[in-house]
Amino acid sequence: MHKPAYPHRKAHQSFTPESALDQDLRRDKEDIRANQKPPDGIHRRDFIKRTGLALAGVTAASTLLPSIRRGMAAGANPTEITFASAKFFGKETIAEVVQAYNSSQDKVRVTYKELPPPSSSTEVHQALVQQLARRNGDPDVFTQDVIWIAEFAAAKWALPLDEYFKAGTMKEYFPGVVDACTWQGKLTALPWFVDSGMLYYRKDLLEGLGAKAPETWDQLIDSAKKLTSSDKAKFGFLWQAKQAEVLVCDLVSFIGSNDGSILKSDGKTVSIADDAAIEAVQLMHDFIKKYQISPEDVLSWDEEPSRRPFTAGQAAFLRNWSYVWKVAQNPAESEVVDKVGVVPLPHFPGKKSAACLGGYQYGVNASTKNREAAVEFVRWMSSPETQLRFATQLGLCPTRAAVLDQPQIAQEQPFMQQLKGVFIGAIPRPVTPKYPQVTLVLQSEISRALTTGDVKGALQTAKEKIQAIVKA
Amino acid sequence: MSATPIYQQKPAQGLTFPPFNRVVIYACALFIACWSVGPFLWQMATSLQLDKQLVSGSPTLLPNPLTLDHFINIFVAKSFHRYLLNSVIVAGTTTFLCLLFGAIAAFALARLDIRGRFGILGFVLAVSMFPQIAIVAPLYVLASQFGWLDTYRVLIVVYLALGLPLVIWVLFGYFRTIPQTIDEAARIDGARPLTIFFLITLPMSLPGVVTTGLLCFIAAWNEFMFALAFTSDLNHQTVPVGIANFTDLHYVPWGDIAAASVVVTLPLVVLVLVFERHIIAGLTGGAVKE
Amino acid sequence: MAIAKTLTREANLRPPEIRFRIWRPGPVLLLVPALAAIAAVSIYPVILGLWLSLRDTTLASPEDTFVGLANYQRILSDSQFWNAWAHTMEFTTASTLLETLIGLVIALILTERFLGRGIVRAAMLVPWAIPTVVTSKMFGWLFDGQNGVVNYLLRSFGLIQHHVNWYGSPDTALWTIVIADVWKTTPFMALLLLAGLQTIPHSLSEAALIDGAGPWQRFWCVRLPLLAPTLLIAAMFRALDAFRIFDLVYVLTGGGPADSTEVLSTMTYKNLFSALQFGYGSALSTVMFVTEILIALGFGIFLLQKFKEIGQ
Repeated sequence: MHKPAYPHRKAHQSFTPESALDQDLRRDKEDIRANQKPPDGIHRRDFIKRTGLALAGVTAASTLLPSIRRGMAAGANPTEITFASAKFFGKETIAEVVQAYNSSQDKVRVTYKELPPPSSSTEVHQALVQQLARRNGDPDVFTQDVIWIAEFAAAKWALPLDEYFKAGTMKEYFPGVVDACTWQGKLTALPWFVDSGMLYYRKDLLEGLGAKAPETWDQLIDSAKKLTSSDKAKFGFLWQAKQAEVLVCDLVSFIGSNDGSILKSDGKTVSIADDAAIEAVQLMHDFIKKYQISPEDVLSWDEEPSRRPFTAGQAAFLRNWSYVWKVAQNPAESEVVDKVGVVPLPHFPGKKSAACLGGYQYGVNASTKNREAAVEFVRWMSSPETQLRFATQLGLCPTRAAVLDQPQIAQEQPFMQQLKGVFIGAIPRPVTPKYPQVTLVLQSEISRALTTGDVKGALQTAKEKIQAIVKA
Repeated sequence: MSATPIYQQKPAQGLTFPPFNRVVIYACALFIACWSVGPFLWQMATSLQLDKQLVSGSPTLLPNPLTLDHFINIFVAKSFHRYLLNSVIVAGTTTFLCLLFGAIAAFALARLDIRGRFGILGFVLAVSMFPQIAIVAPLYVLASQFGWLDTYRVLIVVYLALGLPLVIWVLFGYFRTIPQTIDEAARIDGARPLTIFFLITLPMSLPGVVTTGLLCFIAAWNEFMFALAFTSDLNHQTVPVGIANFTDLHYVPWGDIAAASVVVTLPLVVLVLVFERHIIAGLTGGAVKE
Repeated sequence: MAIAKTLTREANLRPPEIRFRIWRPGPVLLLVPALAAIAAVSIYPVILGLWLSLRDTTLASPEDTFVGLANYQRILSDSQFWNAWAHTMEFTTASTLLETLIGLVIALILTERFLGRGIVRAAMLVPWAIPTVVTSKMFGWLFDGQNGVVNYLLRSFGLIQHHVNWYGSPDTALWTIVIADVWKTTPFMALLLLAGLQTIPHSLSEAALIDGAGPWQRFWCVRLPLLAPTLLIAAMFRALDAFRIFDLVYVLTGGGPADSTEVLSTMTYKNLFSALQFGYGSALSTVMFVTEILIALGFGIFLLQKFKEIGQ
């Protein structure tokens, strides 16, 4: 017997009696539904749901479990990486900074390998090259002078870091430094610290003249001549022309201040024999011979011999790196405490000031076996907090503009804040993987130009030699 | 040449000179002393003065104000004593081994009949003539493969190789000028070559041995390039590397460096004073008692 | 006496060749430690250097092609090389000659007995004892054109009117380095010659004095010939070392100004270490090596003569 037709009808449904066909259809549906139930009682939808959940669970587990395992194991076995750096020091050493990193987390343990001090930069270069050329992943992280970045990138020793550090992150650094860390469009170095040449001048002497800090070379020559002829200063302008790397740094500053260049940005066109460069090198020669505001001795002076007469009060102007400030303020070392001012280097009329970019940057070994750990470490080393630490403890200028604005810097290294303007105008030396050979040619020819006075000839020879090097 | 053989002559006392010659000699000796020690005195003065006085218009030998900051600095801040210890170990071992191996080799070449001795001498000289800067890189690669970087032995072996040619050649020259009659007398008595060497030849050529030992020691003490390349931590770096480490990037702490060089040189000079007085004086001349 | 006779008879019975040319393994063993130490350090680098000099290799790029003697051809036509070679020869000759002469004078004076001789002997050693890393920078300061002590002293004594730009001028730079090297290395020669002089008995000079010889004759005819082997050996080592001068030049002038003090070592250093041109750099080293062999041969021929003269 059929049950009465209405009981299963919902309240909102109409009360028309169900036809026989409808009833059959309904009973068929119920039968089918009843027959589709598998014997163990799992509904198909449930089956799908549960399988899906299970699959998801397994996938999640398979991805999480290794990390969980690693995480558990990390407590017992952190990833070991090596870090090789030139030996800098200050109130604390790099070893102590690395130790701080090791104690701050336990996923990565860094072993610090000390290279010779940066004053023996050729030895640092040689040691790094010997290690990197073996391509066995050691050291995982290293520091490279800004002039080696192109060389290491072209030799494929430095890992491109674009996928780890996006454009947004890189905007926090000085653009000049980021440019220097890039080779053929790929970021192969992470900024560490920056230094550049700048003009130191005697505030008291210029005040006596009623002049302000020079912005063009002519103004500098004018003030210097006035001071030397009235015997207020023994020398006018001191800089470095010893046949060494520092000569190329000075050269870049002078040529750049005339909007010239040594090597164009394509890395192949040599522009050192162009008019702008000739004019700049001629000015360098004239400082010594024509205007006589620089003694002949600059031809054999590098940073320290040129710094000492200035801090002894014998010179009016000095082009040198940022370290001079601290020395000039040290009463045991300087006779001109509180008498020194700093400005960006002068420029030719209508052009911009140019300072030579220096400083070491981080690099990750392209053959490293611990890529993530290395990148983690480098990210920490280049973080704002660590840069602040390097600035206050080791006196290394940060490459993040934001760090320079921190109150701690204002307190402990106020001088650095003045340098923001200088660093923004810093330009690199010629960017080419063959830079080590190019710089030797430059040193030799510019020294010849300054000694013999044959500026055009020396620059032409330099152009030919450099062309042969970069075209090869 | 004189008639009587050298070994039969007694060592003589100093010749007496007429007064004029003595004045000349004293004057020359004074000049030598001043010329040699002058720059060192300047270093001493620099180590006792503030750095800014380096550029003062009139340098003085006795600085005013005097400061001991530099000496304190190098020991407290820069751990100079560690470098000194490392240098003493490396240079001392090198000198001892150099003299031992070199003197025995020179004796063998000079006294015992060995075929092709001049060929061996030439070989010893030749391989030491290759420019050191070209040797550093390959040796660095070798040393790092053996795990010898940052050890004493890598420096000792390298300095041995650098010092042995000089020791062998100089002592070869000395041994050749010592008469062989004493050797033969001892051989008749039944002495073996090494006994002859240690008991007879060595004492007779002590001036040469002490001299080459001193030169070997100083060369190992002052060697810079290999030490810089092969060592990188405080436990093994020697004095020259230590001094190079005083410089950061640009700034040269000249007062500290001067203090370090005084600390390094003075003991050496005192050592030489002691050695010369007690060993060289009075050991010259014939060795066959009559 | 009887023993001597027996020995002589036996000696005369043995054939001369066996008597003087016996190959015994014993003595050679005495050479082994020294030769092993030298070989261990030199053989591999020297052979590697020779091998690299025939290739065009830089560490920076993966290219490594065999170029035969191309590197050497490049050297022969490189004006910078000949410039450096000329400076090196000038420096070696000047430095060795000066040091030998001055060292000889010092040694002669120090063999005489006078009050304070020990102190002067110790003082003489000071230049050699100061670490090279310090000496180079010290001379940089002493000869500084503006504030150096040397200029100050010379002006005080009225020997010069204006400060001399010792290092900054191509005319004086090389000679300044010669002076620095002479100051530093004369003790080396003086010490060796002193020890050599001391093995010459005074009695010989005494005998010559009795025979009526003056001081110059005593020196020239009696002591100098006996000193000759030591003199030549010391001068040879000094010449070989001077040829490889590096530290002084690199720290003081870097090869400048205008390449006027570039020597072969600094040129090789720059090519090997800075520019990483291992092929060219190794070729330069080999050329240095060959020149040194020639110098040593030159001295060696003299030495052989002297040894034969002494006739032992």
